[in-house]
Amino acid sequence: MKTFLTKILTLSLVLFFAQTTFAQENTITGNITDDTGAPLPGVNIIIKGTSTGTQSDFDGNYSINASQGQSLVYTYIGFEAQEQTVGSSNTIDIAMVAGSVLQEVVITGYSRRNQTTQTSAVVSIGASDIAELTPTTSIDNLLQGKAAGVQVTAANGKPGQGAFVRIRGVGSLTAGASSPLYVVDGAIIREEDLASIPNSDIERLEILKDAATTAQYGSRGAAGVVVITTKSGNRNKEGVIRYSSRYGVTRGIEPNFDIMDARQKLQYEAEVFALGVSAAGSLPGVTTLPGSPERQFLLDTEVDWYDLMLRDGIIQNNNVSFSGGSERMDYFFSIGHDRNTGIIDQIDGFERINARLNTNFDVKDWLSVGVNVGYSRSTSDEPRDRNNVQNPFRALFDYNAYEPEFLLDDDGNPLLDENGNPVYNPTHTTFNVRGALLSEPAIAIQNNLLTSVNANVRFSDSFDYSFAVAVNSLNERNENFSKPGGILDAIIGDPNNPGNKLDTGTYRYDITLSNRLNYNLQNDNHNFNALGLFEYNYNENNGYRVRSIGFPSSALTTQSNAAQVTQGSTTRNILTLVSYGLFTDYDYQEKYLASASVRYDGSSNFGRDNRFGLFFSGSVGWNVAKEDFFQVDWINDLKLRASYGTVGNRNGITRYAAQDNAAFASYPGGSATTPSNIGNPDLKWETTKTSNIGLELNMFDRRVSLVSDVFQRRTEDLLFAIPTADEAGVGSIFGNLGTIENKGIEFAIQGDIIRNNNLKWTIGGNIAFLENEIVELPDGEDVTPANAFNITYSEGRKINEHYLVRYAGVDEATGAPLFFGADGETYRAGDLPEGENRVFQGKSTLADKEGGFFSNLNYKGFGLRTDFVFKAGNWVNNFVRSNLVSDAINIDDNQAVEAFNYWKQPGDTNVLPSPIFQNEANSVNSDRFLEKGDYIRMRNVTLSYNFNDEALKRTPINSLRIYVQGQNLLTFSDFWGDPEVGLSSGETISFANTVAPGEATLYSYPNAQSVQVGIDVSF
Amino acid sequence: MKKYIYKIAITVLSIGALTSCEDNLDQLPFDEFATENAFQTAQDFENGVRGAYLGLTATGLYGSSDAGSMLSAPDILADNVVLAQGGRNTKRILHDWNYNADITMRQFYIDAYAMIYRANQVIFFADGFEGDNKANVVAEAKALRALGHLNLVSVFGKIPTQSGDANSSLGVAYLTSADPNILPERLTVGETYELIAQDLRDAVADINDTNPEGRMGKDAVRLLLSRTYLYMGQWQNAIDATNGISTPIAPRGDVVGVWEDTNRSGLLFYIPNEAGILGNSIGVTWSQGNANSLIPEYVASFELNSLYASDDIRRDAYIFDGVNGGNPVNGIKKLFARPGGQNGLVDYKILRSAEAALNRAEAFFNLNNESSARAELDRVRTRRYNTPPSGETGNALRDAIRLERRLEFAFEYQRFFDIKRWGQGVNRTNDGDLADGSGTASDELTLPEGSNRLQLPFGQQSLDSNPNLVQNPGY
Repeated sequence: MKTFLTKILTLSLVLFFAQTTFAQENTITGNITDDTGAPLPGVNIIIKGTSTGTQSDFDGNYSINASQGQSLVYTYIGFEAQEQTVGSSNTIDIAMVAGSVLQEVVITGYSRRNQTTQTSAVVSIGASDIAELTPTTSIDNLLQGKAAGVQVTAANGKPGQGAFVRIRGVGSLTAGASSPLYVVDGAIIREEDLASIPNSDIERLEILKDAATTAQYGSRGAAGVVVITTKSGNRNKEGVIRYSSRYGVTRGIEPNFDIMDARQKLQYEAEVFALGVSAAGSLPGVTTLPGSPERQFLLDTEVDWYDLMLRDGIIQNNNVSFSGGSERMDYFFSIGHDRNTGIIDQIDGFERINARLNTNFDVKDWLSVGVNVGYSRSTSDEPRDRNNVQNPFRALFDYNAYEPEFLLDDDGNPLLDENGNPVYNPTHTTFNVRGALLSEPAIAIQNNLLTSVNANVRFSDSFDYSFAVAVNSLNERNENFSKPGGILDAIIGDPNNPGNKLDTGTYRYDITLSNRLNYNLQNDNHNFNALGLFEYNYNENNGYRVRSIGFPSSALTTQSNAAQVTQGSTTRNILTLVSYGLFTDYDYQEKYLASASVRYDGSSNFGRDNRFGLFFSGSVGWNVAKEDFFQVDWINDLKLRASYGTVGNRNGITRYAAQDNAAFASYPGGSATTPSNIGNPDLKWETTKTSNIGLELNMFDRRVSLVSDVFQRRTEDLLFAIPTADEAGVGSIFGNLGTIENKGIEFAIQGDIIRNNNLKWTIGGNIAFLENEIVELPDGEDVTPANAFNITYSEGRKINEHYLVRYAGVDEATGAPLFFGADGETYRAGDLPEGENRVFQGKSTLADKEGGFFSNLNYKGFGLRTDFVFKAGNWVNNFVRSNLVSDAINIDDNQAVEAFNYWKQPGDTNVLPSPIFQNEANSVNSDRFLEKGDYIRMRNVTLSYNFNDEALKRTPINSLRIYVQGQNLLTFSDFWGDPEVGLSSGETISFANTVAPGEATLYSYPNAQSVQVGIDVSF
Repeated sequence: MKKYIYKIAITVLSIGALTSCEDNLDQLPFDEFATENAFQTAQDFENGVRGAYLGLTATGLYGSSDAGSMLSAPDILADNVVLAQGGRNTKRILHDWNYNADITMRQFYIDAYAMIYRANQVIFFADGFEGDNKANVVAEAKALRALGHLNLVSVFGKIPTQSGDANSSLGVAYLTSADPNILPERLTVGETYELIAQDLRDAVADINDTNPEGRMGKDAVRLLLSRTYLYMGQWQNAIDATNGISTPIAPRGDVVGVWEDTNRSGLLFYIPNEAGILGNSIGVTWSQGNANSLIPEYVASFELNSLYASDDIRRDAYIFDGVNGGNPVNGIKKLFARPGGQNGLVDYKILRSAEAALNRAEAFFNLNNESSARAELDRVRTRRYNTPPSGETGNALRDAIRLERRLEFAFEYQRFFDIKRWGQGVNRTNDGDLADGSGTASDELTLPEGSNRLQLPFGQQSLDSNPNLVQNPGY
């Protein structure tokens, strides 16, 4: 490979010199077309390094005098600049390529700035990138590995499930406050609802990382901002019809460990019983003798529960869009359908239909109006995500292979019930989830309407005013039915009132009203922009919960048929925000850059006297390459920038946390008063001070680009559910206490290794090195957050460090598990010194290195793109492993084959403790199963073919691309199981309540891999 | 000019729509309201004290927490039950006495103090209130506060009669104010019991003779006070406290029905448990499913089952013949179900008048008044057996009183505490979990008297949240 590169470099150098040697002036003519082949008038053509130039005429033709060896630069707004060296031919025809506008403009939600003049750490991802990485249904999964400093942890593998996105570390210690703010065309959307936006509708997204831009979002920008802009049509262009379709199969990523088959488990049971584990005495490994007919029957009816429970799923996507525009209006219309059945047999997965219409039109020459309306409806079958056998992913490990799916008669045939249906085997767990998947259907339905309307009034060339209304209206409904006579009904149902239906739902309404007065001054040297903002945001949730029992038939699923309503309640809450802002940008000759912002926000969830917070930022930039004295030819751009600012956070506390409140429940005789909140009238904004220094470098005719940022985020007055003493009887109280700090350095580099007419090979990657520290906690005391496993916050320590007793291996002499006491000596469990033996070891759930890299090879029409993501330095408590290698304490559950490797005789090393010490092993909460979560995963590999114009000339088709794409096909990791851990157990700690994503494995929906084929065509 | 007017008009209209926005920052909740509003009227105080009672039904207190609660722990820690192999292994840490600071009854600890906070809140706000029901409501709150602390100190502390050093050893923090920021210290066992007794004496004085369903009346508080004195070894007080308890002991014919909620004979304090009001399936703490396909967490120990004489009605009332995975087991019937009803949905039965007689019997015995002791014992036995045993003297009488207490209050929140306060250890037989004593026995059979594990450890998080909380010895 290296020699190949050398050859190519040599060849290009030779060609370069050859051409300069024979310089002589000629008249060059040619024709310029756009990417559809239409003539392109008005293209600027300049001889590089001179002021000589011309423009293409109405038919796209041009003519210019130039010498051989000189370079002609072709530029036109909306297209990528091209450069051609004048050779022996006097004709140079150019096909301009529609530009990644994203390289040039940055949209921060409140403003658009030229990439060359903006002073903030912002990453833009355009539609073409999104199109190449479509296999996810939700945009957040797609962000992983794409932007330096953006850490993405898939929540789990459930179809339609999103991800935990953290921009530059964890900015807050409360749940729900570390996710960035998502803004879709001005409307706010929750991280967990991102799946309601189809990727194909997204034109671009911007990730705002530092205060220079996030401070424009003031109180809500502390965790970073993701600005999502949906597509619009092009004016003065013929309409385009695009159709894309994708179809493929998905399956769970095969575990990298083996669980016992029937023969192994029976043997294991007999072994541990012989050792003295009495609980094994009632199991078939003991009660049936090897070689006996009973034993043979178990072996003959063996079941592979993994294969039985899971299946290959189907992924399907179809999308049609029409876009275009006339002189005074443009439109984009799309409809789409997505389906991902998931990998659990017996149920359907995720399905979504969506439609969107975006239009912009000029009512008057001084008044323009834009209307964006997107609607989507998704349904998702919801398997239980809890830590017991109601969860299929726990059940498939817990059920023993000798336990058949159905109860069997002596001949091995299923027993039938009175209706002739086979009777599910309750198994040793007393619950058959295969049957329950059918008898306990649960579905989540979301209807999401995202609307934004804006009107812009131009008073003069320098003054304009815009008014915008953005609404996110989300109606979600969850239905859980326990069918009469079903698996669960038989266990916990009321025989007099069979069946149980629970309907819950929330109507979430979020509206932002925004007034902006914009002033713009532009002349040759100075470019000044000021924007005044007055904004109001109103967010309301209305919930309901109704439960009934007593259903005459499993076919009747609405509660109108139920005999008895047992629960009914509605809830409502409101959160409001009033904001004033002033944002200014200035540049001098695009060389010296400066921005400043002030925003004054008041939020209803703080104490009466602390509602308003002032947030500001300032940033400067210097584009060194634009200086006259800077004469380095191979550097095209060299920009240095620095920013400092404050941003706020108000998430992570309840909406009425500042008030002392009482609620009421029912008790025999009437209402019962319950303390619902201990108020803290001093509650105020959590504030993050962010500083950032960045470098942007484009080299070798922009073939190589490098962006690097160093940042520091210091978050003070942390919003915190401060635990009170258990004896106080009130749980925790929201307050502002403590300080944390995140700092790091980010690199993103990308380069075209090869770039010529037929062959283009681009590689790139990014990495962020992150550090964090808890600087200060309330009274200096350690804090154990609710909703986490063995995580403790301690001053001077990392955020989300595991706090456990250290496991010291197995005593060679006895086979007993040993642990380190706080004094560093090893002890048996019962002999550990009194008091605290847990220690911090610097092992956090947070990765300290994270990023991605890719290679994109294009040869003629063929493309091969691979994308990798990686993370390192994080630690995962592997509870699944502890259950499968349980020292036989879970002897009735199936175990991993590894469990055989226990201590058998003195001198055995590198073994598990002897099962006779199971209680000892289990009595200490140790780091025995705490594992490094490092991995590299090939997220995507795509082989595609773009039909060339020649082939399509005789067809009505403008472009045609076909591809085959694989997702998650390769993983490199030493982790036991799948290393990509987000949610541990969604019903134990929900997405919204998670403070430490990836802390532990606990049977959440596993990640899947897929292979899909697809077609994109436009007319 | 016209154009200019348009522009101005549109701008002004849009801005005008927003001028009152700042008023919208004053948001009050919809699902709750300011606490001071909640304690104004007589009705408010009725609601308030019901709120404290509601605290009793929390999963960790008298609920079905898988980590153990008052409903289950005192029997699981003792010898009345055996871990069922066909169950989910809940509360196994308690049954194996394998608890430590990381795995202990912290939810019980939290829920008990949360209930106490509510009681204290009622008492605090009542200070500035002069309604007719004030004295009764405050008395109820004090009784609840005392009950909460009695439960706590029984689990985490020694019982005064348990050993010579018990009264001077550490009990629990006694909370008498609703203070969210308090970091209280543990009192000694002796001090803790004095405060419990004081609260109960105050409550007896002021509480109504009877209160509505689900609330304590005078008889219930008298019984609690009697139990407190019994635990303190104040025998005469234990007897005197029961004076005036008028609720008769359930006659033999009613005993089965008490546990099926078909009668309320002999109940001094119970909480109706109806769907739509409480509707808690508390019985899942012992088992799920129906008798023929039972999923038991624990079953009655073979030993206990064998102790019931054939004519003892309690065998039928407390234990049923269940089948788990084809094997017959002795299911625990208290809390199991109403006839034909949803399993686990039964009333909470917290205090019964039979205890008064057994408290008196024990106290009289300790005062060397054997004839009175026997008379009290027989008041219970004649209502349980067709041909009750009788006529014991000396140690045989003492053992008979203890046996009767075990038989009467099996699965009823007392066994472990009785063993503790008698200075005994737990001795389980080596019988298995199946009805005939076969199957798998408990992992651990013996917890000797004097073991530190008779007092449970405080949770690590409890210790973390209160630096003044001192851990029990040996953890």
